[in-house]
Amino acid sequence: MRRLLLPGLAVLFICLVAAAAPLLPMPDPVRQDVANRLAVWLPGSPLGRDEFGRDVLSRLIWGAQSSLMVAFISSAIAAIIGTMLGLLGGWFRGVAEFLAIRGADVVLCFPPVLLALLVVTLLGPGTATLILVLSVLYLPGFIRVSFAEVLSARSQDYVEAVRALGAPTTRILLRTVLPNIAGPVLVQFSLAVAAAVVLESGLSFLGLGVVPPTPSWGLMIRGARSTMEQAPMLLVWPCVALTFTILAMNILCDAVRDVADKRGGGGAKRLRLVDRLLPGLFPPPAAPVPLLDVQGLTVEIAVPGGIIKPVQDMSFTLMAGRTLAIVGESGSGKSMAATSIMGLLPPAARVADGVARFEGEDLLRMPEAQRRKLRGGAMAMVFQDPMSSLNPVHRVGDQVAEAIRAHRDVPADAARREAVELLKRVGIADPERRARAYPHELSGGMRQRVMIAMAIANKPRLLIADEPTTALDVTVQAAILELLADLRREEGMGVVLITHSLGVVAEVAEDVVVMYAAQVVERGPVAEVFARPLHPYTRALLAAVPDGDAEPEGIPGVVPRPDQWPPGCRFAPRCAHATDACNQAPPALEAEGDRAVRCIRWREFAP
Amino acid sequence: MPWIVKRIGVSLLLMWVVATVVFLALHMVPGDPAELLLSTGGAMPDAYAIAELREKLGLNRPLWEQYLGFLEGLSRGDLGNSLVDDYPVADEILLRLPRTLELILAGTIISVIIALPAGTFAAVRAGGAFDRVASSLAALLQAVPVFVLGTLLILLLAQTLRWMPAGGYVPLAQDPVRHLVLLSLPAIAIAKGLTATVFRMTRASVLDALSRDHVRTARAKGLTPQRVLRRHVVRNALIPVTTVLGLQMGTLLGGTVLVEYVFNWPGLSTPLLRAVEGRDYPMVVGIVLTVSGLFLLINLAMDLLYAALDPRISRS
Repeated sequence: MRRLLLPGLAVLFICLVAAAAPLLPMPDPVRQDVANRLAVWLPGSPLGRDEFGRDVLSRLIWGAQSSLMVAFISSAIAAIIGTMLGLLGGWFRGVAEFLAIRGADVVLCFPPVLLALLVVTLLGPGTATLILVLSVLYLPGFIRVSFAEVLSARSQDYVEAVRALGAPTTRILLRTVLPNIAGPVLVQFSLAVAAAVVLESGLSFLGLGVVPPTPSWGLMIRGARSTMEQAPMLLVWPCVALTFTILAMNILCDAVRDVADKRGGGGAKRLRLVDRLLPGLFPPPAAPVPLLDVQGLTVEIAVPGGIIKPVQDMSFTLMAGRTLAIVGESGSGKSMAATSIMGLLPPAARVADGVARFEGEDLLRMPEAQRRKLRGGAMAMVFQDPMSSLNPVHRVGDQVAEAIRAHRDVPADAARREAVELLKRVGIADPERRARAYPHELSGGMRQRVMIAMAIANKPRLLIADEPTTALDVTVQAAILELLADLRREEGMGVVLITHSLGVVAEVAEDVVVMYAAQVVERGPVAEVFARPLHPYTRALLAAVPDGDAEPEGIPGVVPRPDQWPPGCRFAPRCAHATDACNQAPPALEAEGDRAVRCIRWREFAP
Repeated sequence: MPWIVKRIGVSLLLMWVVATVVFLALHMVPGDPAELLLSTGGAMPDAYAIAELREKLGLNRPLWEQYLGFLEGLSRGDLGNSLVDDYPVADEILLRLPRTLELILAGTIISVIIALPAGTFAAVRAGGAFDRVASSLAALLQAVPVFVLGTLLILLLAQTLRWMPAGGYVPLAQDPVRHLVLLSLPAIAIAKGLTATVFRMTRASVLDALSRDHVRTARAKGLTPQRVLRRHVVRNALIPVTTVLGLQMGTLLGGTVLVEYVFNWPGLSTPLLRAVEGRDYPMVVGIVLTVSGLFLLINLAMDLLYAALDPRISRS
């Protein structure tokens, strides 16, 4: 709202001054005084006199009045008639819709100034013609806005309810629908007024708008052109007044529009120096070096209400050639963890703490240029939604070839041939032809195969797959998982598989990390975790998997939002075994052998 | 390509609607055009002269017959003769249209050359110093009416500093350098609105494209930031910008009327304004139809460009 204040005050000031023109102690704006023509300054005329000896300041203020009056009246007429037409068109559809919308389209076929000149030719110049022209020109804007709003309002529950009560149509339109479309219509109105001021001044400047001697900014500029040499300021004043008014109106329009559809946002700070140096002081772990070793990974996002941590103190280790699954419900932070390791966090998020060593080198503190060379080369990623993750305007073969050429110096045609080979490799039939297709021409499963082909293009040693099957049909899911498993065997890649399906975990992974509300709650080899789950959440997840005839048990409730995490164990509110102690302090992740669990009561449940 | 055929059909249909609307407007206005035309200075015109003019303009034929004659003339490119000097309207337009087109082309090139890179850079460094300066400048440019900018340019560069001529026109063949010098100021004035709009649109569009999943994929491939920007952000961001470019052309075409007047550029504006003042109906109608047709044509071209940039359009 604060953004509305300054431009709002400026516009208000202009309007008030213009409206007060008859009350201000000023010389008559049309009285000529040839003896004092082009005077730079006279008592009572601080801005001097024009080419007929008329007072410039007085003409500026009266000019504001005529400009604004024409603009407001024509915008108001356009708003009333346009909104009405839009309402009727959107409510009754059919013929009313056709007339309103097509009528608006016809007006939009003419460049505005040309349509205005046509009407001026027919009706002769003058204020009445101006108002008519301007209201016709801005009619389409109101028709379209109110039409679109009515269409969406029509289907709203409250409108349906009033309709079901049998209220007459006019009553519904005026009492229920109209107040709800007021916002967009207001935005449109402010745009129309600003545009009308511009057009009015332009037509008056051409001598086809306001008829002299009525003062108008456009006419003043027109008149001052001939005496530009002797009295340049005569030209400058109306130009400044006009530009300032339109600028204030435009800024107000932007502010009104922003308030009408509000959006938040926040920046993120960079890593502090101490954070950059500290982890380097610890020696890297002794051999054998794991492929990926993540310790204490924490991600922060600055939001208007403060800072949230979608990933907190996450740790896991992946050895070369193995598959590790990260499991959890939506909102548990699994994807955020993966993107931070790859260095692909969205701008609002940042890594606040932790290390992620890829073959001994910390990815999180590596210079971006060095990390870029690893991305798509030694480590690659497959994303959840292959439709949005592929660029819709490039052929898929080119997109795969691009991945090859980003890391290896091969000629374009060799890369293209290799891309076709890769497409064949990931099981795409007729790869030559498919390489020339655009993403929208392929099926979902095929698109994900393209994504995988892109990821394995440079024989990565680490592949992170972020829910690679979630967006796909059930029948295709198994095929994609099988492909990933085959590729892993053949290429010897280490794979991090992010999923919310324990069925998938059982099928392909050797180790599993269970996440809940940004934290790791359980970690260990898949066989052991499935046979002997230690955390109540893991047990609940396992119970939720459909298994033979047994009815799967759902977990009551949802993952709490990051700004509403409970102070103690984050799973406690949904946990069947929670005690008072669980709600007191956050439990620590306790390690035992190759297992780890974050629950103060795990020993009681361990079978 | 049935999509293109359909799109061209829509344009032709709109052209017909525009012509019909203009025709109807001309004949629905209360008052007899012949009488209006002859009644200069408030004196009642001679009844015989009115009858003669009505005959000449074909005003005593039935409306539908006049309409068919009007459409038939249009289809042959015959826009009638000027009421003032009996010169064929189409010839006058053919003489002057290229000059207006040159102005439009120069203005569009200037704005695209400035606004696309500036908008992209402002989006990539959103919130930075360049972004803030350029965005404020764009807001200011949007607020200055085109004739105000033109007039102030003349005041500053021609009148005060005497760097540039105040206006005029020399054919390209006669003196190419002088031609371009005279073209530059009107082209800059005409470019101002488009520059501001394209800048803002490009900035918004690039910001939107930057947050797309496929840009993340491009980065995940390990592409250099420059390549990600060029192939995966700008290319995609251009698509909505072309639509805006097309719609903005209406304002641009209207702006030429004012700019040509300000700079004495002998395009369509001079005969148009003279005809509006003198109520030379055939001339006004001819020019309005020509410019509206140009507007529809540009929008058609933009739609085709849109389809070329976005493979999802033409194939679905």
